[in-house]
Amino acid sequence: MTGDVAQTQWGPVQVQLTLQSGKITAVSVPQYPNGNRRDAEINEYALPILINETVQAQSSQIDMVSGATVTSDGYIRSLQSALDQAG
Amino acid sequence: MTTRYVDHVMGMPISLALRGRHTDDDVAAQAWTQALDVLRAADRMFSTYRADSYVCRLNRGELTVTDCPPEVAEVLALGEQARCESHGAFDVRRAAGLDPSGVVKGWAVERAAHAFDLLAGTDYCLSAGGDMVCRVAGPNSPAWRIGIEDPHAPDKLVAVVPIRNGAIATSGLHRRGDHIIDARTGTTPTALASVTVMHRSLTQADIDATAAFALGPDALTWLQSRPGRTGLVVLADGTRQIFGDSTREMTSSTSSRGMGRWATK
Repeated sequence: MTGDVAQTQWGPVQVQLTLQSGKITAVSVPQYPNGNRRDAEINEYALPILINETVQAQSSQIDMVSGATVTSDGYIRSLQSALDQAG
Repeated sequence: MTTRYVDHVMGMPISLALRGRHTDDDVAAQAWTQALDVLRAADRMFSTYRADSYVCRLNRGELTVTDCPPEVAEVLALGEQARCESHGAFDVRRAAGLDPSGVVKGWAVERAAHAFDLLAGTDYCLSAGGDMVCRVAGPNSPAWRIGIEDPHAPDKLVAVVPIRNGAIATSGLHRRGDHIIDARTGTTPTALASVTVMHRSLTQADIDATAAFALGPDALTWLQSRPGRTGLVVLADGTRQIFGDSTREMTSSTSSRGMGRWATK
């Protein structure tokens, strides 16, 4: 369910809700202000963009993985390890 | 074109990605060596696994904080600040003595990353076990795209976030067993699967992710009260909740509803 685009003083904003059996399972913001230089500075780190659970990480074109502490023992099986080897 | 480096310090994989002018030349290699040296020095100073670290010597009563290098007081002060701000859920003081590892990791990586600030025209992303600092060299550099691991299926992602200049840290239990406790009760929090926090500073992002995880059911409300943070909370039942003060500002017409309430209805 995707809401209308709302105009705010920072620019257009849109909010998307994912519902499962009447329960909201995810909230995301597909559109947020990033139009001018000032906004670009504010959004140096943006909001996370939720991924559909069927999407495999390998197809998401990511540079690095953030997760709960990976030990050196667990690293070999991690997504980050796959990225590091892919170069 | 991204050039990658990997090494292991503090029992964690350290991953570096470089783009731009200095990726595989001598100055890049020197910066990498320098960054690893900073991490190893922090490990020697703070490790609870090294009998000769300042932390272990403090815990044995052989030293006082004033006998230690100023970094020790700095880290303990950060821990004390986090204890106050998290209403006691985060605490570096344990029954067995000081354990500042919840502060040291982010703090050390943030310090180590400065080695790459000297690489002109070069974007970098330095990660220690999934907590990282991202920088780009100029306004036209693309953001680093960071995947957030699914705590219920670590070979998948729950979200992606673009970061140009900033830090991201994720806390959870799914990799290392029960290493986070709620200091108010001494128990392992079970309400959440993971907490991811972005902030200008990795020190703060890492502390906040751990403190929020310890706060359990109160995490989202607490994180929303913290300025300058954005991120993602994954509940134990898999519910995903995005938070951020930018969200609150940008959805001001509906802000009274609060993201937390949306997600629990």
